[in-house]
Amino acid sequence: MSRNFYPELVRVDALDKVRGATKFGTDNRPDNLVHGAFAVATIGKGRVISIDTAAAEALPGVVSVITHRNTTSLKPAQFLMGGGFAFQTHSPLLTDHVAYRGQPIALVLAETLEVAIDATAVLQVSYEEQPFAATIDNPLAEPIAQAEAPMRYPLEDISVGDAPAAYEGGAVKVDSTFTMERQFQNPMELIGTVAAWEGDRLTIHEGTQNAGGCKFGVADQLGINPDNVTVISPFIGGGFGQKNSMQSQLVLAAFASRELGRPVKIVVPRRQLFHDATSRPATRQRVRLAANRDGRLVGALYDVDAQTSKLDFFPAEHADTAARFYGYPAFKSFTRLIRTDIPTPGYMRAPFEHATAFAIESAMDELAYKLDMDPIELRLRNDTAVDVVSGLPHSSRHVAECLRRGAETFGWSRRDPTPRSMFAPNGDLIGMGVAIGLYSGSGGPTRARITARRDGAVSLNVGVHEMGQGVLTAITNVVSKRLGIPASAITATVGVTSGVPQPLTAGSWGSASAVPATEAACDALMKALAEAGVDISASLPLGEMVARTGAGQMQVEASSVAPGQELQVLGRTDTGRVAPAGPVYPGFVAFSYAAHFVEVHVEGSTGRIRVPRVVSMFDCGRVLSPRTARSQAIGGVVWGIGGTLREGAETDARYGGVMNGDIAEYLIPVNADIGSIEPGFIDEPDFQVNRSGVKGLGEVVMAGVAPAIINAVYHATGIRVRDLPLRLEALLKPQA
Amino acid sequence: MTMNHEKEVIADTGGLSRRDVLKGGTALGVLSVAGFGTQSLAQAAVPSLPMAFRTEVEVAFRINGAQTALALDPRSSLLDVLRDQLGLTGAKKGCDHGQCGACTVHVDGRRVAACMTLAVQVDDLDVTTIEGLAEGDVLHPMQQAFIDHDALQCGYCTPGQIMAGVACVREGHAGSPQQIREYMSGNLCRCGAYPGIVAAIEDAARVMEG
Ligand code: FES
Ligand code: FES
Repeated sequence: MSRNFYPELVRVDALDKVRGATKFGTDNRPDNLVHGAFAVATIGKGRVISIDTAAAEALPGVVSVITHRNTTSLKPAQFLMGGGFAFQTHSPLLTDHVAYRGQPIALVLAETLEVAIDATAVLQVSYEEQPFAATIDNPLAEPIAQAEAPMRYPLEDISVGDAPAAYEGGAVKVDSTFTMERQFQNPMELIGTVAAWEGDRLTIHEGTQNAGGCKFGVADQLGINPDNVTVISPFIGGGFGQKNSMQSQLVLAAFASRELGRPVKIVVPRRQLFHDATSRPATRQRVRLAANRDGRLVGALYDVDAQTSKLDFFPAEHADTAARFYGYPAFKSFTRLIRTDIPTPGYMRAPFEHATAFAIESAMDELAYKLDMDPIELRLRNDTAVDVVSGLPHSSRHVAECLRRGAETFGWSRRDPTPRSMFAPNGDLIGMGVAIGLYSGSGGPTRARITARRDGAVSLNVGVHEMGQGVLTAITNVVSKRLGIPASAITATVGVTSGVPQPLTAGSWGSASAVPATEAACDALMKALAEAGVDISASLPLGEMVARTGAGQMQVEASSVAPGQELQVLGRTDTGRVAPAGPVYPGFVAFSYAAHFVEVHVEGSTGRIRVPRVVSMFDCGRVLSPRTARSQAIGGVVWGIGGTLREGAETDARYGGVMNGDIAEYLIPVNADIGSIEPGFIDEPDFQVNRSGVKGLGEVVMAGVAPAIINAVYHATGIRVRDLPLRLEALLKPQA
Repeated sequence: MTMNHEKEVIADTGGLSRRDVLKGGTALGVLSVAGFGTQSLAQAAVPSLPMAFRTEVEVAFRINGAQTALALDPRSSLLDVLRDQLGLTGAKKGCDHGQCGACTVHVDGRRVAACMTLAVQVDDLDVTTIEGLAEGDVLHPMQQAFIDHDALQCGYCTPGQIMAGVACVREGHAGSPQQIREYMSGNLCRCGAYPGIVAAIEDAARVMEG
C-alpha cells in the first residue's frame, strides 16, 4: 500500500494569510471609490409600485440611487443550470418584480458606507403584494415531478429491477421519512464586488469560485465584449458553493460604476445573504429498505421532495447518490421539485450527498437493529464492485477498507450495541455511530500554462480557484515532485481571467481537473526542451536546461479533459460555461468514499449533545498534499457536525424571509463545539479517472457525518431522530 | 477641552470603558449618536451646535505604534476606518455585528470586535492590528504556530483568530485545550480549522510564556 505518496508541504499561502497580507476581493480600494448599499423588499412577493428617493438623495454624501427605473439597458441574468452564469434567472433591480422577501429593490451609492446605509433607511417604497409560499408545506407551493420538469439538463428517475415487488417480498423492512431544513453556506468572507472602469475596460475584484463565469456573465448583462472584462479572484474567503456563479450585486456594481465614472464597492451584508443568495434546499426523503434475514438488501425505494424556487428548477440529484451506496438488486427513485417563492437554491458543500447520506445511512442503522446485526457487518455485506444503475464497474471503491481501518482506529469493538448501555464517568450517555458517504469523482476541461526561467524559477497559471482547500499547495507539491525542483522555486497563480480561462471550481472537481492539466503542462515543458535540443535525460537542473536553449525562459501551455470528453469541450470553459464529467464515464463509474465513526455524549436530563471524538477514513484517490488534505477533512467533519446539530434556517411562512438570518442565530459550529477529529486516508490512486489518480475530497469529507451522529445519538438514547437539525427537544419528547 | 466631570455621568462599564471613550472633547459626537450622552454634557461642550448636525469628529490614536489623526464620521466603526481609510485590510468583516470575530484587533492590549467599536472610542488609545503583530520579518509566535499547525484554510478568519489567540494567552485563558476552546468561541471559522487553532494557541502559549 502506498501511503503519503506526496510529501508534507507547508501551505504555500499560509505566510501571507497569518500576516493579514492576503488581499481578498473587497480588500481592494481603488481611489475615488463610491460605496453601495441595498435597500431590500419588505414583502413576501409582489411588485414595487413606487420608490421615493428624494429624502435619500438629499442626504449629504449620497451620490446616486439606482432603482429598476434606471436599469433598462441591462439584460437579465441566466441561471447557471439553464446554460447561463448566474445563481438564478431573476436579477433584482432590473424590473419592478419582487420574487421573495429580502430581495434588493434599490442601490444607494454614497461617498461613505455609513451614508449609504443610512440612506437606504429613508427610501419610501410602496408595493403591490401577492400571495406567496416560502416553505415546501405551504398550499401555494407547487410540486412537480422532476422527470417532467422542463429543465435544460433533464434528470430521470432511476429504476433498476422491480423494486416495489422486491420491497414487498422482503423479510425485514424499514420505512422512514427524513426532513431537513434549508441550510446556508455562510463563508466567512461576505459576497461583494469592487468594480472599476478604465475607458471601456472593466476590472472586477470579487471573491468568486467562478471568475470565468462572472466575466462572461457580467459582459452579457452589460452588453459588452467579454474580452474587455477582467475578473480577479486569486483568494476566496471560503465559498462552499455560494460563490459558484454570478451574484446579484455584480452587474449592479459594474453598471453603477460605469454610470458614475467612479469605482464602486458593494459588500453584501450577512443578513442579505440569507435572502438573496443560494441555500441548500429543504428536503423530505422517504427511504424504504428491504433485506433478507442475512442482511442482504433485496430492494430499495427512495422518494425525495426537494425545494426549488418559482424562478428556476434547481436540479435535485439525491437519487444519483442514493443508488450508489450499496449493491441493491432493485432500486427505484421518485423525485419531486417543490416550487416556492425563495431565491433559487444552489450548491452547498455536499449539496445532495449530505441529505442523502443522512436518510440512507440512518435507515441502514435502523435495519441493522432490526436484524440484530453489527452495522459495519451489514454495510460490508452490501458492498459492491459494480454500479447497479449503469452496470459498469466502479473504478475504485475502498469502502470496506475505510470501514475496517476506521473501526480499528476508533475502537469500535468496545461498543456494546444495546442502546443506553454505555456511560461516561460523569453519567452522560455514550453513543457510538458509524455511516458511510460518497461523492461523484468528477473532472472537467482545464488549461494550464507553465513558465520556466533560466534562474530556476517556475511559474504556473492554472484554471482553478483557491478558496482555502489548498489547491495552490497541491499544485506546488505535484510540480515540485514532477520536475524535481524545490517548492520555493514555484509560484502558482489562479483565479484571474487575464491568464488561462478560469472555469467554475466546485463539486470536488478542482484538483481533479487542475492537477492533470498541470502535469500535462510539465510534460509539455520537457517535450519543448527536448525539441529545442536539450538532453532532458541528463538530469540537469531545470534552470540549466532552459539556459541551454539560449532563451531567457520557456513557456508552454497544456490542457486536460475528463475521460470520454472531446477536446472541443475546452471551448465551453473558455467561454465561462460549466462542463464537468462524472461519475459515469465510458466503461466505469467513479466515486470518492468516506466512513465516519462518531462518539457522542448525551447529558441525560437536558439532552445536551457533545461530540468529543470523530474518526474518519477517506478514499479520495491520490492525496496530493497531506497537510492541507488533513485540514480539509477536519473542516468537512466540522461541517457535518454543524449540519446535523446546529444549522437550520427558520423560514417565516407568514411573511417570508429567514427569521434567524445572521450568524448569531443561524448557528454554525464554534470552537467549543468541536473535539478530537482524526482523519485518515487510503491514498490509493485511481488512474482511470485521471492521470493524477485524484477522485476529489472537498465534498465527501462531509458526506455521512450526519447519519454517523444520528446513529450515535440513537445508540446513546434509544431515540431515532429523523429531522435535522437535531434540536434538543427531540430528545426530551416522551417516546412512543 | 477636558471634562473633569465625566466620571459623574458616565460609568465605567468594564472592558473598553466609556471613560476611555470620552477622553478629550473630540469624542463628543458619539454621545448623541450612540445615545448615551447627557444633555448637560452635550451643552457644556458645544453649546451652539446640536450634536446631530456634527458630521466629523477629530480622533487621534496610535495604530501599530504610529500616531495618526483623522476627521471621522462619528458613526464610523473602527473596522471601516482601519480598512477603508487606513488601508489596513487585515482585519476582516464577516458580519459587522460582533458575531464572528473576523475583525478582532487589540485596543490598549485588549481584544475587541472592531466592527462593534465606534472609531471615536479609540481616541488617544493604542490600536494593534494583525499588520502590527510581527517584529519586521520575525513572525509573532502565534503567527508561526498557526503556520506550523495549518490552523487555517481560506485565511479569512485568521487575522482575527490570531489577534484573539494572542489576547487569550495574555489573559491567562490558554491553560488547557478546554479553556482555549471556550475563550476562542467568539471567533468563528467556517472552514472548521478549530482543532488546529487550539493546537497552535497551546503551542504559542508555551513560547510566549517562555
Ligand atoms: S465583523 Fe466584527 S465580529 Fe464579525
Ligand atoms: S480559515 Fe476560512 S474561515 Fe477560518
